[in-house]
Amino acid sequence: MAWRSNSTSTRWWYQGTKATDADIGICDPGVGEWGPMTLVDALFGAFALPFMARALIVMLVLAVVAGVVGVLVNLRGLEFISDGLTHAVFPGLAIGLAVGGTAGLVPGAAVAALAAAVVLTWLDRAGITSDAAIAIVLTAMFSVGVIVVSRGDEYASELEALLFGRVLTIPPESVVPLILVCLVAVVAVVVTMKQQLLRAFDRSGSRAVGDSALVLDLVLNAAVALVVVAAASTVGTLLVLALLIVPGAVARLMTERLWWLFPAAAGFAALMAWLGLALGFAGSVAGGVDLPAGSTIVAAFVAGYGIVLLGRWIADRRLATKAGVPQPAGTAAR
Amino acid sequence: MGYFERALVAAIIIGAGTGFVGALVVLRRRTFFAQALTHGTYPGAVAAAAIGVSVPLGAAAASVVLVGVMAGIARIRRQGAQVAAGIVLTGGFAAGAILQSLIPGLPVQAESLLVGSILTVTDGDILLAASIALVAVVTVAVFGKEIAFSTFDQPGFRAAGYREWPIELLVLALTAATVVSALPAVGAILAIALIAAPAAAARLVVPTYRGILLTAPLIGAASGVIGVIASRGLAVAAGPSIALAATGFFVMALVISKVRGLAWKRVPIPVETAEDARTA
Repeated sequence: MAWRSNSTSTRWWYQGTKATDADIGICDPGVGEWGPMTLVDALFGAFALPFMARALIVMLVLAVVAGVVGVLVNLRGLEFISDGLTHAVFPGLAIGLAVGGTAGLVPGAAVAALAAAVVLTWLDRAGITSDAAIAIVLTAMFSVGVIVVSRGDEYASELEALLFGRVLTIPPESVVPLILVCLVAVVAVVVTMKQQLLRAFDRSGSRAVGDSALVLDLVLNAAVALVVVAAASTVGTLLVLALLIVPGAVARLMTERLWWLFPAAAGFAALMAWLGLALGFAGSVAGGVDLPAGSTIVAAFVAGYGIVLLGRWIADRRLATKAGVPQPAGTAAR
Repeated sequence: MGYFERALVAAIIIGAGTGFVGALVVLRRRTFFAQALTHGTYPGAVAAAAIGVSVPLGAAAASVVLVGVMAGIARIRRQGAQVAAGIVLTGGFAAGAILQSLIPGLPVQAESLLVGSILTVTDGDILLAASIALVAVVTVAVFGKEIAFSTFDQPGFRAAGYREWPIELLVLALTAATVVSALPAVGAILAIALIAAPAAAARLVVPTYRGILLTAPLIGAASGVIGVIASRGLAVAAGPSIALAATGFFVMALVISKVRGLAWKRVPIPVETAEDARTA
């Protein structure tokens, strides 16, 4: 099937980018026709297209950073705060889009996310952790975002793009800002890594050696916020959470060694991001359906988690039967 | 009845119903579970529309299945409830979006499932919400004593020889049904505001169990009406403005309870001197 002739289903890739026919022609493999898609085409050939290459670069950087930050999120049990940040970023994205178009997405989200990181750190320290209160505050933030979007003209399509992302239409000029945002997050975490780990495993020990709990919490929450910013403008606000939570959870299933958690999480995230993008491309071009790439990436993440979970469960079972003792009840809990 | 009047009626009925069941949810500390249920409805609704089953039924079934999966993951070593929730919820959203793109020409709109569209509710939606609210009221009237007992004194409830799971299941089923009935008004993402906010607000200002069960529906219905009217007046989406109205009530209740807690009258601090202690 000629992928260019299938223009009704591929046109949306180019919305927002300034890709022209010449731009596409450069990378066209000469023949102008893609035969029936092979596995190699989907996994490698697809990324010769400039917009697919951009998506892959951004997603790989994002996946590695999200994996590293996600391990700390998992160790510290900050999943709810991350969920809070994803909701809080939404009005920032909406306002940024309303004020500055697609170029305003990253700055708007960054301001909202950093403000939310400070507020959530403060709420956490003040001991306000009633889940009802948090749920109410977050939905309120989300509502503000939806209202801002609903004031615009293209309500439905804009809302869907913000919720489910536009990973294939990342404009070339926002690749560098996105990568910069990711780099700042990873540098902040790596610099404070030793202290963060001490705080994760031994709260009072961390205070006793003189580390400021406030500073450490702020740094980690801000790093999570930055990852959320970068991810929200690519895979969308609803799906960001998967990028942060799944790699950390998978790493915890794969290894017990602390330092192996980080490469395991980052490697898993990068692999799944690549597979997800390829799946989205194959579905859209060979299958002729508009698979949203953000969703296929998250689907790949969740499917990968399912496989690792199953493997772990079987391994645990084997271990238990080999030892000849049923698993004690206490090990079921985390 | 014009579309606006119908939207107002729907807002009143759905607001009252969610407020009532929300009171049980908040008092039993199941907000987090309810949130998972609301998010789980999205893929279910899309799938049900795809295979031609009734959308509310599919939404309810999917949300219950997702909560089951969540409970399963939460029991596995080194994976907590938070991890389980995050994975199941994002997976559910992704599945919903993929399903929607796989099946073109679905009669449902993504954004109306996610943030609601109360101006397009049908009489069937209103009827469903009303009957679910009625069932909830009847259930609480019949089993109110057992529900209250298990909510406020779980060990006592067990010790008195009752089993916990029937009540838990009953409340879970009521919650799922209510979430589904709230979908047309506020959608999957914002439904939790309509469930948690009126009840949390009522709980701050009303001291009794029965009082909360009476006040929360009133606040819910009021949020619905205010939200719909504000949505028309300010030309914004109705679902979020209903959610914001409910949040406004919560903030108001918070302020009232704080102001009430202040010491307004100067009360002499009783000081017992050594002399008093000796003569007493």
